[in-house]
Amino acid sequence: MTEIINQVFALDLKMKKDNNASANRYLDRIYHEFETMGFQIVNPIGQAYRNEMTDVEANVVGDLSRKSKITKVLKPVIYQIENNETKLLQKGIVIVE
Amino acid sequence: MKTINFAIDLGTTNSLIAKYDDGNIKIYNNPLGLKQTLPSCIAFRGNRTVIGDKALDYLEKDAENICMLFKRKMGTQDTYFVPSIAKEMSSIELSSLILKELKNFVNDEDTLNSVVITIPASFDTIQSNATKKAGYMAGFKEVVLLQEPIAACLAFANSSKLDVTDKQNWIVYDFGGGTFDVALVEVNDRELKVTDNLGDNYLGGADFDNLIVEKLIVPFIEEKLGLTNLWKDLKSKTSSFKGLYFELLKIAEEAKKELSHYDETEIELDIDINGENFYEQLLVKRDEFEALISPKVEQTITFIQDVIKNNQLLNSQIERVILIGGSTYVPLIKRRIADAIGVEVNSTIDPTSAVVHGAAYYAGSKPATVSEVVKKEEELTEADAIGFKLFYEQNTRDLEELITGKVNASEVHSFRIMRKDGGYDSGVKQLTEATFSEFVPLLEGRLNQFKIQLLSAALDVLKVIDTVAINQGSYNVQGQPLPNDICMEVDDLDASATRLEKVFAKGSILPLKKKIYKTASKTILRQSDSNLIINIIEGKSKGLPSSGLSIGYIEISGNELEEDLIKGTDIEIEIEVTESRDLKINVFLQSCDQEFENVFSESERSISINKINMEINTILGDVEALIRDTNSEENFEYSHQLETIRVGLIETQIAASLITEDDVSDAKFQLDDKKRKLIQDFDDLTRNKLIAQEIEEYNDTKSSLEYHLNKEENERFQDKYKRIINNEKEVINSGNKYLIRSKIKELDELYDSIIQSSDENFISYFLHMKFVTEFSNQRKAEKLLKQGDDALEKKDYTSLRHIVYGLSALLPDYEKEKQKKFKDNSRTGLG
Repeated sequence: MTEIINQVFALDLKMKKDNNASANRYLDRIYHEFETMGFQIVNPIGQAYRNEMTDVEANVVGDLSRKSKITKVLKPVIYQIENNETKLLQKGIVIVE
Repeated sequence: MKTINFAIDLGTTNSLIAKYDDGNIKIYNNPLGLKQTLPSCIAFRGNRTVIGDKALDYLEKDAENICMLFKRKMGTQDTYFVPSIAKEMSSIELSSLILKELKNFVNDEDTLNSVVITIPASFDTIQSNATKKAGYMAGFKEVVLLQEPIAACLAFANSSKLDVTDKQNWIVYDFGGGTFDVALVEVNDRELKVTDNLGDNYLGGADFDNLIVEKLIVPFIEEKLGLTNLWKDLKSKTSSFKGLYFELLKIAEEAKKELSHYDETEIELDIDINGENFYEQLLVKRDEFEALISPKVEQTITFIQDVIKNNQLLNSQIERVILIGGSTYVPLIKRRIADAIGVEVNSTIDPTSAVVHGAAYYAGSKPATVSEVVKKEEELTEADAIGFKLFYEQNTRDLEELITGKVNASEVHSFRIMRKDGGYDSGVKQLTEATFSEFVPLLEGRLNQFKIQLLSAALDVLKVIDTVAINQGSYNVQGQPLPNDICMEVDDLDASATRLEKVFAKGSILPLKKKIYKTASKTILRQSDSNLIINIIEGKSKGLPSSGLSIGYIEISGNELEEDLIKGTDIEIEIEVTESRDLKINVFLQSCDQEFENVFSESERSISINKINMEINTILGDVEALIRDTNSEENFEYSHQLETIRVGLIETQIAASLITEDDVSDAKFQLDDKKRKLIQDFDDLTRNKLIAQEIEEYNDTKSSLEYHLNKEENERFQDKYKRIINNEKEVINSGNKYLIRSKIKELDELYDSIIQSSDENFISYFLHMKFVTEFSNQRKAEKLLKQGDDALEKKDYTSLRHIVYGLSALLPDYEKEKQKKFKDNSRTGLG
């Protein structure tokens, strides 16, 4: 399942990059379905990066400082919710600058 | 006899912990990651110590405060000076920190006193003793060492249930991410012994990734963009290609994995270079990749040949080669070894966990010499004596909250906060004046649970606080809560009625927004008069739709459609309630590709006379039916109450028929209010009764189902049954008859499939049919009953089954009658 989510996420990024909003409705719907299935998908793009975040695998470019931000998300963070318990299913893969 | 059971693979780059449990091996997961492996890497950041994955973050910025690969210096006098804590750290101390972190992987209820730790075959006595010392420093009372190649052989022998009777020579080929080792192991019926080993500490799978970037990807980009010197620029700290090197390494790693399974792979490059987007595909064939890494692989082959030669053996005297280490997934390696040595190459065991796996087998057979009884009680009192106070916001809308704590125990030196879902770890931090405060990130819309450890100066865990939970997003004192549920009216085809579906729960904080996906439950042709109705209602979600206050009502008629709305296609409804309580509804019809948007303010209710009439009609039928029933039960007080409602409804209906749809006075609203009150009364009067009926039916269904489930031949249905009744309590307590009904339906379906799984089950059905007096075709039924008697006598149960089917078809269908009454114009069109 994580692979399917990753592919949808990649597709979403690609469409956004091409400024193509025509399929947003369908992508939203797919994300909604993932959510009903108990997956919480987090795109941490633009967030300040802290070393304490164990939900992402960061590739830190240059010096890590308070100003370091997540500038690119190669794979999203995926949590799985089962019996009301949240579990990390996939670490995000990000570039931090 | 108590055995050691726990084993640790204390690796140069990665470490793992496992447990032997009654013949099975359990490898523990890092609670903070998803991996079983813990990178053997530690970062010292002043008063904070970070161990594992996250320590690697500081590799570039702060290399002097990062300690890794310290296993290579085990047993030497070399120490690592760590500027940020102004302290010399020995390999033993560093290794003990890794071991302590691995202890964290194991559930708190297990006490870990004895452990098996693996060491490379090349370790001498001093290095071995140093490893033992690290183990004792980490708090173990007993440490038993085991050589890694032996552990790998054990893993192989145990998983393949091999029986070795004569003396054999095995080779263990260990090709990891950063190191390479080869060991010659002598195996006989009694023991395993490492006779020789060789290796290279600077040869690993990471070299393959670098080669893909350097030799394939970079030349490709250079050619397409007319660049030069890109490889050098990528690796330079000062270049403008920030981040690109890492991104390309990731892409290369993926390609490497693909090429381990497929003959070719397409590398998709979608990157930014000098501010320009570069989007191209590069096809890489396995041959190309293999040609690239071949020199590195040949180096490892030479090592094997040397080890064989050095021990005066011939290739033919080697029984098998066992592959471990992540890099051995590459098929070329297996092939080349088989070619060069000409023996069986075995890659059946998991290369990353083989060592810890084998070591755990060993630990499971090795008696433990330390007992654990006395110590346990002591620790308990110690932990209880530690006093602490915590301060934090339990409910918040922020994505970050502050947790502050004060500790009243001098032995507590540091703390560590971890989010239980694995998304956050503060690392070990020192207390300042016996207090700590830490901003923790929160996962949106969830209950975030935390675990706080209090640690001693030696980083031993003294106390675990397990009760901290922060609720994100559901509460905020400043926001305005909803006074009632907000619901949408939808069709309930099973019950041939409409019902309410909760959109926002009472008490939710405004503003609120939600998308709901429905399917059309009827077809609406273009230009037809048929309607799709979106009715948003404020009121109890468990009540009848007509008992709530309609706060937004949209009718989309066939005249407004550009295409036919086809039954079964998607309808997307976005509902938003703003802080000022405006309601926005946005409807998108997929099959028409049309969007409708409406904004309602509470002050201007829109009411349809048509709708009032329709609702009264439906309820009136129900009221009258109930009056008939209660009269026959001689429950006169109850029927009197019902009669009052009936009269009220009829009066309202008459009044409604006197106003036109475009009436501008507030008569409409008065009528609507009156109607709602009457229906609410009816609802209150009947709801409990109906729910009690549903629960009773649920229990009946359950017990008849259980009777069948207890039969041996039906055991396979148990799992499904357990799944259905899993959330039984919530459903029963919900007081929502639709939920209970849907549970009953699920049970019924299971019941049917059990019955239909065996022909003999139809006997009781048939006997039951014999007592039915009313069939739609009596003559036909009698004929079938006679045939059934014959079949029963002949024990021909297959025929009996078909006869029962035939008889069921002749039963009068009450449901169908009810469905007929659920006319098109009383439906919303939302399934």
